[in-house]
Amino acid sequence: MRMSFQEKSHWLVFLSLLAVFGYYFSRVLPAGSINVEPEHLGAFTFAVVALVITQIVGHTVIAFVDRRSDTDERDRLIALRGTRNGGYVLSTGVFLALSAAVVTDGNFLFTHVLLGAWVLAQLVETGSQLLLYRRGG
Amino acid sequence: MGKRGGMITNDIRTLRAARGEMTQQELADRVGVTRQTVNAIEGNKYSPSLEVAFRIARVFEVPLEQVFQYGE
Repeated sequence: MRMSFQEKSHWLVFLSLLAVFGYYFSRVLPAGSINVEPEHLGAFTFAVVALVITQIVGHTVIAFVDRRSDTDERDRLIALRGTRNGGYVLSTGVFLALSAAVVTDGNFLFTHVLLGAWVLAQLVETGSQLLLYRRGG
Repeated sequence: MGKRGGMITNDIRTLRAARGEMTQQELADRVGVTRQTVNAIEGNKYSPSLEVAFRIARVFEVPLEQVFQYGE
């Protein structure tokens, strides 16, 4: 089955999130810290800028290659199911981040558990959407 | 809506062939869905809403039950 614009867009989001935040966490987490330091903010800013640029360029290329970006009931159903799955992960992550804030000193662990939960929620959302597109809906 | 264990089958492929090999894209444009959705319906991977099912039957000018069948 040839991929639709929506499916290509989800692949772009999934892979760019994986690459950019995979790089960010591999840089920041091994050293560890009690509080978020200026170099962490620098790496985070770099990650966000890289993510935005990657997605703008990627979506421009996809739109150029595939002019049809219309959606229908199946796209909306898949989007809702993906958002639901991502929501479960995000709410679990928020609970874990709050627990980390209570039991640890500083803001490093709280911030990174929360950020990690958001990234994981996005990956689960787009990943489950990709799976649903392959399965049919 | 969505997958229901493959209990709903259809004859869209046969009906397209009978209409001078109408393409999935042509059917999709006339029904108002994407080509990928027509492909998923045709392959019994996705059961469309009642509204889309009626629109497909209307394109082929046949009753709904001639397009879709519900098996136990």
